Amino acid sequence: MFGMPPPLPNQSMTSVSPAVGQIGAPVAGASKIDPNQIPRPIPGSSVILHETRQGNQANPPPPATSDYIVRDTGNCSPRYMRCTINQIPCTDDLLTTSGMQLALMVQPLAIPHPSEETVQVVDFGESGPVRCSRCKGYINPFMKFIDQGRRFICNFCGFTDETPREYHCNLGPDGRRRDADERPELCRGTVEFVASREYMVRDPMPAVYFFLIDVSMNAIQIGATAAACGAINQVIADLPEGPRTMVGIATFDSTIHFYNLKRALQQPLMLVVPDVQDVYTPLQTDVVVQLSECRQHLELLLESIPTMFLENRTAESAFGAATKAAFMAMKGTGGRLLVFQSVLPSIGIGALSAREAEGRTHLSAGEKEAHKLLQSADETLKAMAIEFAEYQVCVDVFITTQTYVDIASIAVIPRTTGGQVYYYYPFSAVSDPAKLYNDLRWNVTRPQGFEAVMRVRCSQGIQVLEYDGNFCKRMPTDVDLPGIDCDKTIMVTLKHDDKLKDGSECAFQCALLYTTVNGQRRIRVTTLSLPCTSILSNLFRSADLDTQFACFLKQAASEIPSRPLLLVKDRMTNLCINILLSYRKFCATVTSSGQLILPEALKLLPLYTLALIKSKGLRTDGRIDERSFWINYLSSISTPLAIPFVHPRMVAIHDLNSKEGDQSLIPPVISLSTEHVNDGGIYLLENGEDCLIYIGNSVDSDILRQLFCISSVDEIPAQFVLQQYDNPLSKKLNDLVNEIRRQRCSYLRLKLCKKGDPSGMLFFSYMIEDKSSSGLSYVEFLVHVHRQIQLKMSS
Amino acid sequence: MAEFLELESQDGVRMPWNVIPGTKQESSNCVVPVSAIYSPIRPLPNITLLPYSPLRCRTCRSVLNPFAIVDFAAKIWICPFCFQRNHFPPNYASISDDNLPAELFPHYTTIEYSQDNQIGQSPPQPPLVFLFVIDSCLIEEEMGFLKSSLSQAFDLLPDNSLVGLITFGTLVHVHELGFAQIPKTYVFRGNKDISKEQLLEHMSFFAKKPKPPGVIAGARDGLSADSISRFLLPKADCEFAFNSVLEELQKDPWGVPTDQRATRCTSTALSIAASLLGACVPGSGARIMAFIGGPSTEGSGAIVSKNLSEPIRSHKDLDKDSAPLYHKAVKFYEGLSKQLVHQGHVLDLFACALDQVGVAELKIAVERTGGLVVLAESFGHPVFKDSLRRIFQAGDYDLGLSSSGIFEINCSKDIKVQGIIGPCASLEKKGPLCSDTVIGQGNTTAWKMCGLDKATSLCLIFEVVKKESPDATIQSTSNQFYFQFLTYYQHYSGQMRLRVTTLSRRWVAGPGSIQDLVAGFDQEAAAVVMARQVSFKMETEAEFDPIRWLDKALIHLCSRFGDYQKESPSSFSLSPRLSIFPQFMFNLRRSQFVQVFNNSPDETAYFRMILNRENVANSVVMIQPSLISFSFHSGPEPALLDVASIAADRILLLDSYFTMVIFHGATIAQWRKAGYHNQPEHQAFAYLLQAPRDEADSIIKERFPVPRLVICDQHGSQARFLLAKLNPSATYNSDGPLPGGDVIFTDDVSFEVFLDHLQRLAVQ
Repeated sequence: MFGMPPPLPNQSMTSVSPAVGQIGAPVAGASKIDPNQIPRPIPGSSVILHETRQGNQANPPPPATSDYIVRDTGNCSPRYMRCTINQIPCTDDLLTTSGMQLALMVQPLAIPHPSEETVQVVDFGESGPVRCSRCKGYINPFMKFIDQGRRFICNFCGFTDETPREYHCNLGPDGRRRDADERPELCRGTVEFVASREYMVRDPMPAVYFFLIDVSMNAIQIGATAAACGAINQVIADLPEGPRTMVGIATFDSTIHFYNLKRALQQPLMLVVPDVQDVYTPLQTDVVVQLSECRQHLELLLESIPTMFLENRTAESAFGAATKAAFMAMKGTGGRLLVFQSVLPSIGIGALSAREAEGRTHLSAGEKEAHKLLQSADETLKAMAIEFAEYQVCVDVFITTQTYVDIASIAVIPRTTGGQVYYYYPFSAVSDPAKLYNDLRWNVTRPQGFEAVMRVRCSQGIQVLEYDGNFCKRMPTDVDLPGIDCDKTIMVTLKHDDKLKDGSECAFQCALLYTTVNGQRRIRVTTLSLPCTSILSNLFRSADLDTQFACFLKQAASEIPSRPLLLVKDRMTNLCINILLSYRKFCATVTSSGQLILPEALKLLPLYTLALIKSKGLRTDGRIDERSFWINYLSSISTPLAIPFVHPRMVAIHDLNSKEGDQSLIPPVISLSTEHVNDGGIYLLENGEDCLIYIGNSVDSDILRQLFCISSVDEIPAQFVLQQYDNPLSKKLNDLVNEIRRQRCSYLRLKLCKKGDPSGMLFFSYMIEDKSSSGLSYVEFLVHVHRQIQLKMSS
Repeated sequence: MAEFLELESQDGVRMPWNVIPGTKQESSNCVVPVSAIYSPIRPLPNITLLPYSPLRCRTCRSVLNPFAIVDFAAKIWICPFCFQRNHFPPNYASISDDNLPAELFPHYTTIEYSQDNQIGQSPPQPPLVFLFVIDSCLIEEEMGFLKSSLSQAFDLLPDNSLVGLITFGTLVHVHELGFAQIPKTYVFRGNKDISKEQLLEHMSFFAKKPKPPGVIAGARDGLSADSISRFLLPKADCEFAFNSVLEELQKDPWGVPTDQRATRCTSTALSIAASLLGACVPGSGARIMAFIGGPSTEGSGAIVSKNLSEPIRSHKDLDKDSAPLYHKAVKFYEGLSKQLVHQGHVLDLFACALDQVGVAELKIAVERTGGLVVLAESFGHPVFKDSLRRIFQAGDYDLGLSSSGIFEINCSKDIKVQGIIGPCASLEKKGPLCSDTVIGQGNTTAWKMCGLDKATSLCLIFEVVKKESPDATIQSTSNQFYFQFLTYYQHYSGQMRLRVTTLSRRWVAGPGSIQDLVAGFDQEAAAVVMARQVSFKMETEAEFDPIRWLDKALIHLCSRFGDYQKESPSSFSLSPRLSIFPQFMFNLRRSQFVQVFNNSPDETAYFRMILNRENVANSVVMIQPSLISFSFHSGPEPALLDVASIAADRILLLDSYFTMVIFHGATIAQWRKAGYHNQPEHQAFAYLLQAPRDEADSIIKERFPVPRLVICDQHGSQARFLLAKLNPSATYNSDGPLPGGDVIFTDDVSFEVFLDHLQRLAVQ
């Protein structure tokens, strides 16, 4: 029944988590904890069927990382939007007491499971979708029709609206509209409305792709230019067909080279823009051309660019100027700008300095503000990015490099324009082109939208505090997304501005107005309605670990550039401790003070927190660019990919053959601890971006031959290309990697690792449960957390 | 008259006063200044080329000449300018009365030296450089005409010449013709000035090696030959690239709203061209050839805004100082001309449009560098097409384009130089010879002539500074003034040459000298000097009234040199030496040089540029056109430049230099329309029709720019080209029609009325 509080069975003791280990005295050694009993993720292998609402109540979603199929029964699929807590605290005090965050993870264009129903498109014609006349909330299953359907009450602002005449329908005996089940907007959590004229300031833009390639000396010499040209040349075939697809291309070193592709007779014409302080586009038209008109020219050109610049001795790179010039060429339409950059931008607008090196000297001199290197160097690129966003240009930067390029500064452009950074370091002409091609291909073929605007509305009592992600914000209420795709997630933090009524429901609605690749203007409306509660234990029970932790990660990522690292680490640890403390203090009934008590839903929080603390982003030993990339990667990461990114998945692959008959392609997960890594084994570890294959020192040479076509560990190539050999083991490994690629929507950077080698060190740096220079072991960390809780309890 | 022409063919010089008023006072009373029209490299029939270096005076650096006093015994010569005694060097040891070196032959007052004479030792000739700068804001048709002319011109270029190409519209495209893989151009903003240093930077001249310190100047100084040959290539190496750029060249792709002019950044393109040449080939002969098809609207040299509702400046606007962009543009081109002169490069201008393109503003840069200028209404017009072909054509009528000239003057100490009106630039080499009064390019005794050709004629204006001295005995023993003109230049064969012309002229002073002065008066030269002077004053002096100035001068001259009894106009007569001068002045007053309001500032600038570079004979035609009559009654004969010369059975050929008009009398036109000339029995008529054509053709092929040929019939609309030039002795308010049956619709006074007034005023 609408508005009823959800029943909470077993309200009291049972939700209390099992005590883990007896910790008698504060000085008690870790030896007393059985490492095998501490909480670890146990992935469910079977597919979960999930109905978003059952019995008119919100159904808590399955873990984001699990395999599930959703049936939209009123609330949106958790793929599109999920909340850190599946019940909304009635008051701000209650939320504060819990120590938890209230936030939404919104991924409006997420890819549904193949077995799920596709999002239905609703066309209201010229009048456009029905909306609340006060708050402009869109019609959704939780708007309550009254007065024989003549009026409806908005579930956001509570205003009573007149039903438009043509939309009127009588109510049935259950108080619902009789047509509710036939109308997707009245029975589905996610629908897509066809946008009417009033949603367009201009005709929907065409699909424009502009490729900008670094051809400076270094880019040429490391093979990055050739790789980029090759990838683009292959990808052209994947671009949307039809007259609405337009392409342009430019190269740059210390000058910018455009190409006029629209030439009847001869080769493309190269137009050099040499002024990189005050750039301009050399042609008004003909730089961006319909793909169908220039396909041959383009292919020819892409083939010849690497040779044309083979002798290039220009080391300088005018990244900022080139980006701006390309922007000017596509300003009229907007579109996607794909930049391939290989060196530090050193000249022209937005030129950067090699501040990493400067930073290192400062660091050794005791510089306190090392994190400044993770901030953008100046405001030039930011200002440019805002202008790009205004004209609907979305920039992605593919960084193929072997040096420092100052990602912290460069990344401002993709982050502001709804794009992203791809990072290939150290770039290898052998192993990286395949990933570059696949990344580029996914970039242009994945479900996506252009010139988008997004807003989240909440029921009275709650309001949006902040949006976090890759976008540009010009108005406080909306986010502008020149580009939005299925991988991009936006975190929406919420705050109370009033008390909520216990037992009522609180709704959240995300509306995304965008243009499809085919030039249709659409509004995707995603609505989630959750019960409100004034009981603390309900919050703990309905806490969503994956969402909470994704929220943790994004907050950490945004704090790292502006605070000393120690403070960030402390804050993350304290966030974890405070939640557990609150639970211990107010919900746990087991009074034994010697026990560490974890809420069931959040029992893995300490492990993940530890993983976060030990991650690249929060370590000082990493390279600045690597940390910047880490920060940027997280800014738009989706909930399912968040945890694996810091807490990777490790599986054994030397014994893939022995698991005959097992349906799953992915072997059982192994805990991230050295003790599970044997010298005779081969292990694959992946975090959605990198994939390390560790080969023990005494692996059977037969297995090596089957998998890698080498006979001993010493022959491990530094640059690895996965190949399939004619044997079952190799096939299984390939299947496994492909399955992971599918799950993560990522091609993965594969690397072979061995002991006693930097690659081995890298591998072992992911052994989070081990004690290492970067932090405590898992057991020690639990002891630390426990001690802190006890300290706070007694104070 | 004939003796003046003889002097011209000996020395290439015409002077208004061949007997010089000998004192300051005397010369200022003579009205027409002591001056000379000198054609520095005019081909002379009897000139000798000496294969050695000239001998120079130790103090004044003047060159040994026939007027030097030679002491054969002592092997000494005395310089006629400074009276310095100079020893002959050992190689002149055998000199004697009957063994004179050529430079001392009395008739070799003009002689040439070639420095690089030794066989096998001549330095390699630097190739000529042609940098084409092409306007792309043209309609398709004009673009087609231009392309075909240019590709013809390219074929005619000397084989060893270097070629570069710049096109422009909204932006400037510098084509890298030497880039083999694909067509490549550097694109520059049209509205942004760019310095030579920035240009070097921007065009990656230092990509392969670091930029050297100091001034970058060509292959000798800092630039590798490789990087130069990216933009300037031997003709043979860039033929394909050049032609393919030309072929693909399209109308400027930046859209032009219907109420706007095209964005045309002429000045920026020219500035970039100048800087490119300045970086690559400073000091050696190079020409920027600019082909411009409309008004400049962008950059520092813009002449008008893009808004079509704003008309292009007229003479009225310039007079009222209401042409907002004019001064800025002129200032810009003045800067450009300095740069070009410094580099020794020439700017040639081909302005082909119905609109003005900004010749008035560009004038300074073209004139100071000695560039060629052609103004036509279309790139398809023969005036442009034939002129362009003439530039590169070898043969009898080639222009003899030479470069890198330096012109110097020496003269007797009682003479000073005020300046030169003509295509040259002052080198600011001050000396005792410089007068305080400056006209044209002055304050110097040396001038740069980046470009010069066979026709180039300078107008040198002198000042006599000798004081009146009552005591005749103190007068110096000599009553001769000496002038020496030295022209160093790169002959079109590539050879460096020095031409030396030394003149001697008698001076007279005191009572009784008038007859001598009149005897030496060259009225044609005088008219030309007056024309150049009045044009110059109109351009440079505010509130200058040219009619008043000319009338005053003429009256003054007539009352000084005429024969009359005071207050008796009917007694007035002029010596034959002066008799046509009033008519020249009458026609000069009516000419395009003075009556500018009939023309646009561009046209006026064009006419004056040509006037300032032409020789006396051609200039006279500009001032007072020649008219030849053809009829059955007599052979071709000169006719009076008067409306009375029109007759129904005559064909008139008018040559006003810029335009040639063949005018068929009414009857002739009727016959022609009836096709009589095609009938064998009327062959004589066919000959009659053909005769003026042949005459016109023979004039046209010698002239640059090629004149416009108008063929018209009496009473036809085109007849105005003739009528405008004729003396309006019969106007609409005359008493009875003339036998020719034509009247001129004008209120202008006729020559008779003018002469009456002159006589009346001269005798007062």
